[in-house]
Parts: sequence; structure tokens; C-alpha cells
Amino acid sequence: MTPSSDSRARPSWLAEQSNLIGLAAIIILFWFLFTSLAPGFVSSFNLFALSRSLAVDIVIGFSTMVVLATGGMNLAIGSIGVCAVMASGYLMQTIGLPIPVAMALALLLGAFLGWLNGFVIVRSGVNSFIITLASASLFLGGMLILSKAQTFNALPPEIAAFGRMRWGGFVSPLLLVALAIGAALVVLFRFTALGREILAAGANPRAAELSGVPVGRAIIIAHTLSGALAASAGLMLVFRLGAAMPSIGQDWLLPSFLAPVLGGTLLAGGFVSVVGTILGALLVTTLRSGLLVMQIGNFWLQLFLGLILLAAVMIDRYRGVYAERRSLGRKTNLGRKESGRRA
Amino acid sequence: MRLTIEGIGKDFPGVTALDDVSFEILPGETHALMGENGAGKSTLIKIITGLYRPDRGRLLVDGKPVDFTSPRDAIAAGISAVHQERNLIPRFTVGENIMIERPPTRNGVIDFDKVHSEARRFLDMIDPTIDTRTEVRHLSVAQMQIVEIAKALSLEARVLLLDEPTASITGHEADALFAVVRRLRDEGKAIVFVSHKLEEVMAISDRVTVLRDGRIAAAGQPIAQMDRGKIVTAMIGREERVAEMGTRSVDRTKTVMEARNVATSLGHKNVSFQLHKGEILGLYGLVGAGRTELARALIGDARIVSGELRLNGNPVTIPDVPTAIRRHRLGYISEDRKAEGLILTHPIRSNIAISVWRRIASALGLITRADERRIAHPLVEKLEVKTPSIEQAVGKLSGGNQQKVSIAKWLAAGVEILIIDEPTVGIDIKTKTAIHELIGEITREGLSVLLISSDMPEMITLADRILVMRDFAIAGTIENTRRYEPMSREIMGLIHAGSADAAPAAETAHG
Amino acid sequence: MSQNRNLTFGQRFLANEWSALAVAIVIGLVTLATLSSAFLTEFNLYVMLRSFCVVLIVAFAQMLTLAVGQMNLSVGALGGLVAIAVGGMMEKWGFPVPVAILCGLAIGAGGGLINGLLTVRTGINGFIITLATASAFTGINLGITESIPFYNLPASFVAFGTGRISALPYLLLPPVLIAIALAFFLARTVPGRQLLAVGGNPQAAELSGIPRDGVIVMAHTLSGLLAGAAAILAVAQLGSAQPSIGVDWLLMSFAAPIIGGAALAGGHISVAATALAVVLIVIIQNGMVLAKVDPYWVQFLLGALILAAVGLNRLRAVRAGGA
Repeated sequence: MTPSSDSRARPSWLAEQSNLIGLAAIIILFWFLFTSLAPGFVSSFNLFALSRSLAVDIVIGFSTMVVLATGGMNLAIGSIGVCAVMASGYLMQTIGLPIPVAMALALLLGAFLGWLNGFVIVRSGVNSFIITLASASLFLGGMLILSKAQTFNALPPEIAAFGRMRWGGFVSPLLLVALAIGAALVVLFRFTALGREILAAGANPRAAELSGVPVGRAIIIAHTLSGALAASAGLMLVFRLGAAMPSIGQDWLLPSFLAPVLGGTLLAGGFVSVVGTILGALLVTTLRSGLLVMQIGNFWLQLFLGLILLAAVMIDRYRGVYAERRSLGRKTNLGRKESGRRA
Repeated sequence: MRLTIEGIGKDFPGVTALDDVSFEILPGETHALMGENGAGKSTLIKIITGLYRPDRGRLLVDGKPVDFTSPRDAIAAGISAVHQERNLIPRFTVGENIMIERPPTRNGVIDFDKVHSEARRFLDMIDPTIDTRTEVRHLSVAQMQIVEIAKALSLEARVLLLDEPTASITGHEADALFAVVRRLRDEGKAIVFVSHKLEEVMAISDRVTVLRDGRIAAAGQPIAQMDRGKIVTAMIGREERVAEMGTRSVDRTKTVMEARNVATSLGHKNVSFQLHKGEILGLYGLVGAGRTELARALIGDARIVSGELRLNGNPVTIPDVPTAIRRHRLGYISEDRKAEGLILTHPIRSNIAISVWRRIASALGLITRADERRIAHPLVEKLEVKTPSIEQAVGKLSGGNQQKVSIAKWLAAGVEILIIDEPTVGIDIKTKTAIHELIGEITREGLSVLLISSDMPEMITLADRILVMRDFAIAGTIENTRRYEPMSREIMGLIHAGSADAAPAAETAHG
Repeated sequence: MSQNRNLTFGQRFLANEWSALAVAIVIGLVTLATLSSAFLTEFNLYVMLRSFCVVLIVAFAQMLTLAVGQMNLSVGALGGLVAIAVGGMMEKWGFPVPVAILCGLAIGAGGGLINGLLTVRTGINGFIITLATASAFTGINLGITESIPFYNLPASFVAFGTGRISALPYLLLPPVLIAIALAFFLARTVPGRQLLAVGGNPQAAELSGIPRDGVIVMAHTLSGLLAGAAAILAVAQLGSAQPSIGVDWLLMSFAAPIIGGAALAGGHISVAATALAVVLIVIIQNGMVLAKVDPYWVQFLLGALILAAVGLNRLRAVRAGGA
């Protein structure tokens, strides 16, 4: 029973990365499939469209990921996104502020709404599910009341121009922005005290608190960050569409969970995978784009996404890492079994 | 019904909880199951009641092998248990809770009149004063315990398992319970009585089985052939004596922490004590005496509502735990390592460095793994944490090594005062000694320790002085003479002084 | 000892739970009656009662999963699937109305059964499972219909959806029956009590010999069944089987039980309080329409109402804890 007898040493790098490798393999498989069935899939036009929507999916995924890190969730991502979108539209079109100023203010609004979520969750001690379910409705309703659901479609022409911009023939600069955000998140979670504190707060809030981690603050910051990321995703869509539409964000819930969960981020908190989230988003975007190119249409997409999510969590369920974590949970206490569960 | 436990073994990651455990429980006997914390009693109970499946060995009922996959199977086989955890549905009535397994129905509809009259019948065997129509959430803890026992009785079990049934009830209630136990035994039922209260066991059981470190230390010995000393020897694997701590000299002139008439939001009244530099101050009391709660108030996790807390002579108000750690160099090791102490899924490195992340971060808030290793590695070496790598997830370590990581965390943080709550719960005897030596060593290096323990030998081994707590107040302070018998008598005297009601049941509660 | 004091406190607590909702409803009724002459007309009452029906059953569908500490994000998606299935069976295949309804209910229950089995068998959080199945159900719905509704439904079925006696719509009958049945089920039957027991203290229930996993599967199955029932009512109400039925159910499904006091941790639900919460929501919606306020306010107020209810529950819990 001495742990040094090593069958239980740290899993090898390869084992740790097996989830990501599996995900990458599935993505390559789909690329192969779509390319051979519909050559239009790898046309520079389609790749460009794919890179633009990938950028948005990645950032939406990050927005949920940072909150999952704390063991909470944020159902208000779509609502915060659309609030930022409409605010940017109003500031640019009606007020006439310069683009960067309007964008910065819209991001601030997103961060503020996220902060509000975090603040209420920490102060009330109520489950983040309920709070963000309610605030999603509140934010969306507020936005619709103020904007009367009018689209801002007379934005400065630079907006649409940037959205159409291609690097190297088919890469949208938006994708670069998304990847840069990813890099920043890697730094946050690996190399900063704040990122570590957020993960510790998610893995075991009580232990973290007793070890001197300001858990409430970590949760509030994670939600603020989530709000800012949701706003970023919304603004990316403004560039892509060349307009600020009140319908943005309504269909974000599923992809926002798909990307991080496919990528191995734990619902229970305490572990995130930035690269996994990017790959998860890539899988979602690939499927969407491929089905579109094959003219199967959007109708069956939902079914595919649902089945993929189910398949992913079930495969995960049968992986060894999970089994061990689960038995650990079971040993501690029957009641705490949940906390060891992976989803 | 005869229940045979044959060669049972059970492993958990990093630890063998039970190994080759065999004994027999016979009809018409009260069979005591004893052992220290972590000896494997709970695991064995969970196996007998169908919550866990054994990795090795088997259970036999009347000579026939059985395989329980859920508590239902065990209940169906005639085994029912009163577990230590509260196992009632808070918003259901007492009556419904008692009858929950098989509520009487008429045409498929629950007959609540019958539920209450049936429940009444079982409840009357122990305590006729509880109303079966009260919702359980309105009961006191002791009343809940009574309801649980009535519930077990209602299952008409032939083997009845009582896990620490008197932990939270008064003497009268305990006497009533014992009377019920005797009656049930005389009716031919087998009673398994799990307890670590020696006097209770001596008084009520016919035979005793003792577990130590997951193995049998004494199997089904008739109680007539045992005495207190023999049982204790079986439990702790040596004669009951106090380990030598070496000479300790504590400078009583330097007071690092002082409480003056402290009252807390958790209900403490008038708590006063002084902790000196390099001292180990014991805090002894029964479960529910308010020791852990006092620790929480001292580290800023609960409010001090009146009185004064002084650190190094200066009055302080501690708003939250992070402030206690950073500004006042005050740390707390919880008795519940898994829920409150360590982050099991994270590596040793982070679990040690967590308390200093802020301090080792650069101006931009950046820290690297190398920074963390620089902090953690020397401590892992010094404390001899047995692990293949500093990157190992803490959850995979044994209890003793986990506790070393906890202590390492506070050494890294550079605390001056450490509150340690039940340091050796769930830790095997050999490692226990190592942990004790470690605590002695850190105090010699200048740390002051407030030690909470329910383990009397541990208390007498480690503490320089012992504060005895009762009902959220200090009942008295005793200078440790390291002589077990007189010390334990004196401590028990303080615990029971003035609470005649509680005395008989709680006698040497943790002896 | 303290038992008596606690009891009266408990009674007050219960009274509070009801009174807050009742008071809000009375205030709403009085305000609307005085401010708008249209409010108490027979037709307006009919309109209100009619909009009450589907929402109530949807709320019950969610309430049952909340009762065991689970959640069902697929209520709406499953509802949409049942709606188009029933519509398709009646229009394309010419099934008799009762047969189509039974098949629809079976699909609902089947969907719920899948949710339950997946949750229990995999041990994965119900949130993720039902998020995934919701997407799958919607995908099947849209894949089959390509978003085209079924309009040609049997006349008798559509007539049921619009018929009324004075202010009372025929449509009100099923939800009232369901509410009574559900209240009886939860209060007086063994499976109903087991469901509440598992929600109230899962380990205790398991140790008491209650098949915890089975009960969770049952709760999900019933939830699916009710989602199906709500969808069939919605089809009758609209007179056509729209693939979009259910898309806006999610918020409402959580709002009513939470406003009615269901603890998300499980074990504490009330059929009557949930129904009262739905009444309150319907009154607010109706008031918005009568006052010709921007309909977007409904969305906003619903969010605010949930937060208020949660805050109130919290406050009560704190007070109860302190006593």
C-alpha cells in the first residue's frame, strides 16, 4: 500500500492526451469523409466560412469553459453576447462612436453582466444554474425592451470589410483572435495564481477556502471573464454579419457546452482543457459545415450534435481515469459520490 | 440466523481497508465490533449491509453464501442497520420514515393511519414521547437517532447492526436502548453493536470482535474472558501506555494566542485560553462539544461576537480565512481531509504551494511549475512523503501521506500557529507515530499547535496542556502528567461534571 | 422541549410559502380588474385559462425531475417531437385521434425513459445528458418535418382545442385531471413517496431499500410523458402541429416550480404551489397584453420573478436555519 510501488504512477503524457488525440482523430476522419464526398468542402470559400464560424464557436466554448472551471455553469452566455452586440450597434450607428471605443464599451458591458452573475451567485449562495437561467431571461428581456428588437444594419463599412478579410486565401483574422484568446487562457490557467485559484475553487471549494484561496472572488472573476468572452463572441458575429442583430446568441447553449465537454473539461470543476475546447469547437464546426456542403441541411445537424455529445460523454465514462476517480469518490463517502463524477 | 464473515478483503486506491476478516455472528447474541478510527469497521459494515461488495472473501447466511449488490438485498436477507450518518428523509413524518421500506397500503394507496399506528408500535419500544406525525426535520439529533433505531426495528431484521448508536443520545435514552437491545437478543435476534466506548461494550455485549488496521485482532471472544486492558491491547496493538515524546520544554512566557471571554456566532460562551510559543495545547471533548467550531471561529470562518482574541499580544479581528493565513500566519488542518483539506485530483505540488501562490507569483501574477516545485520539493523530502512523484494526484496517496502533505502546506505557508483537527483519523498505527513525531518536531522548531483530538492516548502523548470542552465552553484545563489512568479520569470528570443526564451514556466516550 | 416551538415555526414557514404567491396573485387580479375593463370579461378569462393549460403541464414535467434532484433540459425538444409525431400520425397516416394521442404519449414516455436510463447507467450529470438528447430530439423533429407544420388535423381534435363552456375551455380538463392525479400520486402512493424520498435524501432512501436508480428512471419517464401530454394539448390549442412547439418551454418549465418553491437539490416540491406559480405567470402575461406593454417585458419579468423567488426561499432558509 505504499504508493511508491508504482503501478499507480502518474499517467504517461500520451495517456493524459488520449482524449485530445482521439478527438483530433475523429476530426481528421470527418475532414477526410467530407472532402471525399463533397470536394467543395475544401474550397477556399468554404474554408474561409469555416474559419469564421470556428472562431465564434471557440470563443463561445471558452466562455462556458472558464465557468465550468469553478464547477458552475453560465446559461446566460447567449443573452450577454446579444446585449454586447446590440450595445455595440447602438454605440456605432446611433451615437457614432469610433469602432474601437464602441467595441471596448461593449466588452465592458459583457464583463459587467458576467460580474453581476458572479456577484449574485456568491452573495446568495444559490446554484449558478438558477441564477444564470433567470439572468439570461432578464438580460435578453432588457435588451429587447431597449432595442425594440431592431437590427442595426447601418454600421461603419469597416466592420463588414474586416469580417470579409482573408489571410492566406482562406483564414479569417477572427480565427487568429480566437486563438490568441486561447493562448491567453492557457497562460491564465497554467501560469498565474488567479488561474490556479479558479481551478482550486472548482475542484474543492472548501479546501481551497481553508488554504487561503479567496473562493468567492475567484468565482466572480471567472464569471466576469465568461461575460467578456461571451461579448467577444457576439462582436465577432457582428463583424461576420456586418450588422448587430437581436437574434444573435439564441442558439449558443448547446455549442457552448459541446466544445469544452468534448474537449475534456470537467463539469464538476477543477480541470479545463483549452486545446480540447478548441478541438471540440472544430469538431462542431466541421460537422455543421460538412453537412451543409453535402446539402443534408441544418435539420439533421442537431441530431448529429446531440449524438456526438452523448457518445463523447459515454466513451469518457468508460475510460480508466474516470473509473479511478469515481472509486475514490465512493470510498470517501457515499454522499459525495457526485463530486467525483465526470460529465 | 447465523451470519458468517469469511475471509473478507476490500481495497481502495492506495489503501487496503480490510484484509482476511473472518468471524461469525450468532442468533441470540450481542456481538460487539470494536476498533479505532480507520480500523475498517465502517467498511465492514458497508459490506455487510450491501453498500460495498467485497474484493475477496464472502458472506454466508445460515451457511449459504450470499452476494449483496444493494442494501435491498441485505434487508431482504434480514439484515438491517442504523448507520452513523443521518438516514432519514427530512420532510417526511416520523411515522413515514419508520415505515418507509414497506408502507402499509390499501388498494395500492398508502394507508397513513396504519403507517402511524405501526410506527407507533416500534417507537413505543424506545421512546413513546415522539409524535409520529412530526416532520423529521423538526426533531433534535437525539430524537432522530431514536427514530432510526425504530426504523431498523420495523424491518423485522434478524440481524440488527447498530453503528455507534449512542454517539449523540443521553444516558436515559441509551439505557432505554440497551433494554431494547437485550430484549431483542433474548428474542433470538443477532445484534452487532459497533462502538468504541469500552464501558458500553463491556456492559451490553456477549462477545467481542476487534479490528485493527483492517485485520482481525480478536475474533468473537466471549466478553467474560476479556477485560478492558485486553480489548485495548487488541485495538491498539500494544499495551495501553503513553508513548514517550522526549523531554519538552515550553517557554510559557511567550503567549502567541490568547482568547479572553470569547463568544462566537456558533454558540461558544466565555472561552478563554492561552497558547504559548512552541506549545501543543490539546482541545479535548465529546463529539458536539464545539471544538471544531471553535477552530472555525479562530481562523475567521465564523464570527467572534464578543470577547477578545489576541495574537502575539495584539487584539485582532479576523474577517476571513485568507486573512488569517496571510496576515496572522494562522492555519487550520481539517479533520475531513477529503472534503476540506486537500484537492484530491490535483498534484502534491499544487496542494502544497496553494497557500503561497500569491506570494510566489511575479508582479504580473505569473507562477511556474518550477516555482511550485521549489517550494514543495524540500518539504516532501523533509516530511518523507512516500510518492513516486511530486506530480502525483494527492487522492492516490495513503491517509498518512495525505496528512503529511497537509502539514507541508502549512510549513510552506510559514504559519506560526497551526490548528490540527483529529490528525490521525483514518491513519494506520505505524504512520500515526510518524505523524505524532512530526507534530512534536514542528513545535520544537517554534510553531505553536492547537490540537483537537478525540483519541485520548494521542492527546496524552502529544499535548503539553489539555483544555477540556463541554457544551461550547471550556470546562477546565489540565497540565499533562503523561500518566494515562489519572489523566483520563480527570478529563472525564471535567466532561461529566454538571451534566448528570449525559454522564452514563457518554462515559469514557473516546477512551 | 424545542419541538413545539419548531412546529409552530414550521407551520408559519408553510404559511409563508403559500402566502407570498397567493398575495401576489390577489394583488395582480385586483390591480388588473380595476385598471382594465377588459380583464374580467368572459373572453379574456377564457384566453387566460387556455394559456394556463400547456404551461402547467410543462411545469409539472420539470417538477418531477427536480423532485429527484435531476433536471430535464429536453422537455421542449421532446414536446416538439411528440407534437409533430401526433400531427403526422393524424394527417399523413390517418390514425384515429385516440390512437395518435396514445402513440404520442408513448413517444414522450419513451424519450423520458431514454433520458433516465442514460443518466443512471452512465452516472453522468442529467444536465449534460438531457442537453444532448434535447438536441437529438430536435434534430429528429426538424429532419422529419424540415420545419413544415401539419395543418390538416381531424376536426374533432381541433374543436376540442377551441371549445369552451362559458369562460372554461375544454382544454382545461386534462391539466386539472393531471394535477389531481399527480398530487394523489405524490401524496398517497408508494412510488410517489419513493420519488420524494430519493429527492429528499438519496443515501437514506437507498439504505432504506428504495431502488434509487429505478426511481430516478421513473421520474424521467413521467417527465417525458407529461412533456408529451403538454405537446398534444399545444397541438390541439394551435389547431396545427408546429415543429416549433416546445422551443420556448425551457425557461417556463423551471420558472414555475422554482417560483413555487421547489428546491433544486430535490425532495421538496408542491403540485399546488407550482400551479399557483403558473397562475401568477399567466396573470402577468395577460396583464402585459392588456396594458399593451412591449411583450418583451414578459421575458424580463420572468427572469426577475425567478430571482425574487430564489431570494425569498434563501431568506426563509436562513431564518429557518437560525431558529
